Amino acid sequence: MIRNADLFTMATSGLNASNKLLATTSNNIANINSEGYVRERTEFTSRLGGGVDFGFTDRVLDVFAQNQLRRDTSTVGEHQAFNDRVSSLDNVLAAEANSISASMTRFFAAVQTATDDPTNMPSRDAIIGEATGMLNRINQMGDFFKDKEQEVELQIQNIVSTANGLVQQIGDLNEAIQVAQGSSTVDTPSKLLNQRDQAILELSELVAIDVRRSSNRDDGVVVNLTSGESLVLADGTFNVFAIGGEPDYTNRDLKLVTNYAPPKNNTTINILEQKLGGAIGGIYRYREQVLEPAQRDLGKLATALADTLNTQNRQGMDLDRQLGQDLFSIAEFRGINYPENSNLELGIQGRIIPGAGGEITSNDYKVTVLTAPSGNPATFDVEVAAITTDGRPVLDNENNPITQVSTITAELGTYNATIGGIELQFDDGASYAVGDAFLVQPTRLAAANLSITTTRAEDLAFAKPLRINMSIDNLGDAQLINTSVSNTVVDNTGSDPRTSGFNGNYGIQDVSESPSPIFGAPAKVRFTSDDAYEVLDNNNQVITTVTGATDLNNLLSQAKDNGVPAWPVEFAALDDYPGYDFSLQGRPVANDEFTLEYNNNGVNDNRNALDMALLQQEDYVRLSDGTQGNKATFNEAYASLVGQVGSASAGSKVELEAAKVMQVQSSEWFESTSGVSLDEEAANLIQFQQSYAAAARILTTAQEMFDTILQAAR
Amino acid sequence: MRVTTNLIFDQNLRAINTSQGSLSDIQTQLASGKKLLRPSDDPVGASQVIRLTEEIDKISQYQRNNDLVTNALELQETSLRTINDVLNRARVLTVQAGNGIMSEADKQALGSEIEQIRNQVVDLMNTQNASGEYIFAGFQSATQAFEFNPTATDNHIRFVGDDGTNSVQLSDSVTIQSTSTGKTVFEDVRARLNYSVDNAVGATIETSKIKNQGTFDAFHQQNFDPANPLNNEYQFRITVANEVEITNIGSGLVVETMPFVSGELISFNGAEITANAVPGDSFTLSLNRPEKTNVAETLHNLFLALNDSTLSQEDFNSRIDDTLVGIDNGLNKMARENSSVGARLNIAQSVTGSLLDAEIANQKARSSIEDVDYAEASSAFAKQETALEAAFASFPRIANLSLFNYI
Repeated sequence: MIRNADLFTMATSGLNASNKLLATTSNNIANINSEGYVRERTEFTSRLGGGVDFGFTDRVLDVFAQNQLRRDTSTVGEHQAFNDRVSSLDNVLAAEANSISASMTRFFAAVQTATDDPTNMPSRDAIIGEATGMLNRINQMGDFFKDKEQEVELQIQNIVSTANGLVQQIGDLNEAIQVAQGSSTVDTPSKLLNQRDQAILELSELVAIDVRRSSNRDDGVVVNLTSGESLVLADGTFNVFAIGGEPDYTNRDLKLVTNYAPPKNNTTINILEQKLGGAIGGIYRYREQVLEPAQRDLGKLATALADTLNTQNRQGMDLDRQLGQDLFSIAEFRGINYPENSNLELGIQGRIIPGAGGEITSNDYKVTVLTAPSGNPATFDVEVAAITTDGRPVLDNENNPITQVSTITAELGTYNATIGGIELQFDDGASYAVGDAFLVQPTRLAAANLSITTTRAEDLAFAKPLRINMSIDNLGDAQLINTSVSNTVVDNTGSDPRTSGFNGNYGIQDVSESPSPIFGAPAKVRFTSDDAYEVLDNNNQVITTVTGATDLNNLLSQAKDNGVPAWPVEFAALDDYPGYDFSLQGRPVANDEFTLEYNNNGVNDNRNALDMALLQQEDYVRLSDGTQGNKATFNEAYASLVGQVGSASAGSKVELEAAKVMQVQSSEWFESTSGVSLDEEAANLIQFQQSYAAAARILTTAQEMFDTILQAAR
Repeated sequence: MRVTTNLIFDQNLRAINTSQGSLSDIQTQLASGKKLLRPSDDPVGASQVIRLTEEIDKISQYQRNNDLVTNALELQETSLRTINDVLNRARVLTVQAGNGIMSEADKQALGSEIEQIRNQVVDLMNTQNASGEYIFAGFQSATQAFEFNPTATDNHIRFVGDDGTNSVQLSDSVTIQSTSTGKTVFEDVRARLNYSVDNAVGATIETSKIKNQGTFDAFHQQNFDPANPLNNEYQFRITVANEVEITNIGSGLVVETMPFVSGELISFNGAEITANAVPGDSFTLSLNRPEKTNVAETLHNLFLALNDSTLSQEDFNSRIDDTLVGIDNGLNKMARENSSVGARLNIAQSVTGSLLDAEIANQKARSSIEDVDYAEASSAFAKQETALEAAFASFPRIANLSLFNYI
């Protein structure tokens, strides 16, 4: 054993070592409350010649615990972001005061009350009041969703800039650590490492990442997205997130922009936002899976409700004896240009086909021009494809994408019917080019933009516009069992294919008003035997004769199909003419007559109101996209919206709890290795104090020995 | 495991936070009485509650409808019953008027009572409900159902409403008619079936009347052809064999042949005709088209007959017959309507019963989903409270333990 160092040297090195140990301990104690501080230990080895060397202070770190903590932090970040936002929807839907369902029930109850006494003005006013209340609830909820959407946009912008800041910080710290490492070989640059770890932990809360040591053995780290794309490279360069918005600039998506050194060209990389993990992934998942579908479901419900009530009111007659009009106005929607379009000024306009409220789905549609416009007005083929809010095709029940190719006429004022109960107007005529595409969102803002068109209680059409009177001279016992009105469009010029037999002037069309040059609209049915009848117009002209009728249901429709001479071609060419019909039961005898007349002064009639009240329990709102779409009542549709948000919220609550437990677990693991324990430091303090005293004692011993030698030699 | 200082503080704080969170949730449940505070607490339950609430609200609306329809039907029932009563009085008076020993003055006295009854009936046929609607006018309830015009040539009491009837919904599946139109109740009443004799060739008709109305009605109903009038005409021809041969003109078939003695009764399906005729003579009997007369009109006709001193006894008797048949047919019609109203009232009542059952069932179901179980919630509250107190009590004791206190 070689001991060439003397006591003085050993004592000094011991004092130095104890000093350093005490300094490390003090540093640990001082940093007990520093965020991201990792406890340090100074380790010594003995010198070859005796004494102790300078020692090496390093952080006490378990890399596995640290990585686990980062992964769990990402998971918590994602679920926390998702849960925070979903529970705000959850709370709004829970509030009874906001309940659209309760307001719909009150509206229909008011209609029911009014059916009991159709001429009672206060009960009509009550309906208008409840309708306005219902509309306010729907608008409020629609606005709430719209606000939430905008809020999410802002949050995404904030969070992305924070993430980019962190990415840059990590890159910078990588560089700084390399420099520090190069200038000192003794201690690790703990402060910088702690800062970098802290930045990585913060980034992992925003986005799920993988962290690896650089392969250059230089203490740099490489940070990747879990899907593999690089964020930070070992040499200090980094890539940042960029916010895009194509085609919907209010609905941002994310891209990754590279930051290569020239001459390498930079590129942008598409990333799947929902899979990003962390808070960014959570927000995107919330937007795509909860907010947007719920917003569209609400729009679908609002549209179906408004359109169904409109249709029913149009089929009736109001207190002013006029044909009913729309009660609600459903906003039109504009198509959004895709950025690749030939001319970004182009537009298309869409609206709900009146009466097709039950066909509405919550899908968005991509409309693509397939052929070049030709002719005047221009016609061309377009493809309409149903897409989800994140742009994927919607599949039908046989897993085929839902699309339709049709030839449309492009001119102002012409609406081309397409799939899903919507019709589109291509108002820029021939300016469209092949490949131009538009995004159409029929239901997105439908709830927020719905409005009421009338506040006059008289405009509620409780009566049907048609009544059937049997002649008092009838000898048979045939009785009216049903009168139906399906169309009340007025056009006495014969040019509108949708026209009905009503003339809009408190009557049924006569020969001068009807589309036919010979006959007016059907106004009388006269039996020639118990199974044969003539259909006459109001000038007593026989339009057609039916013989051998097997039943007396829908007499006019039977006449349309089986009458001799054939139903007038001008009538048959129209969509739904005359738009009314009736059924009898019992046995008529020859010369029995039934007269169809406009329901003038029929103020006590509640038939249409009764039909309106019945809408409450009938299935009108489409639930699935398949061709055999099953439907639900308004209330069920709302209940399913609430249920969907509720289960998303309940699910995320469980996920969040689980993630938090995991995070606690890994944070305890990490903390138990790297955290500072004051008790331990207190013990160390005493221990190192003692070792310091002992080293000092060596010095006095050496001194005494020297004195002893001196005295002996004296 | 190595326990660090931060770990001790974190763990304790977390325990306190969790306890406080659950405590506040349970407190909200206790205060609101609901365990379903937001849809996420039970997503399926939340949507069920929405549907059940709608059902319950709908049921209370149906109960309201039921009350209103019951009132409306009871008003109709009352009107019909009153008309029924006064018509029975009119019938007695009619029988009295037909007994053949009435003087003109007696007839006029009866006439003024009949006039009163007619006015009362017209009034009842124009019954108005609480909001002033004429309940028998059909859809045009703002105007009266029947108009009385004494100067009209015929149909003095005319129905001016329409055929419209309203219905009211009593449950999801039951809809009942809430109004009846005067047209079916009062107007669509058959007058006495009759015939006329004309086209006499050589023959003179001495008397002609319906002896047996029932037999004649049956014959009329069986043979009347609304489409071809010739089928309703029967030619009575006296043959050389002093027989009367009755031929249907439309079909040309001989219906009946019977011996004929001039001046004696020929009886044909309830009708009795006396004719003076020789072989070769003929006359025609035509079945009259059935007519409809409302009861008020029938009473008005009787009133006119009672005040018409120029009327022959035979014509007067025939008017009496018209009146009796008219009143009977009217009473029949009203009896049918009354039983229909009664049946509807019964339906309304039984629907009420089943709706009440459904309401209780729905409320129970809703309560079991959303209402808090107080016993359970209170004990959970107490438990949570204890846990929080324990956390509070232990935290400072652990926090105070430090080696630094001893050196």
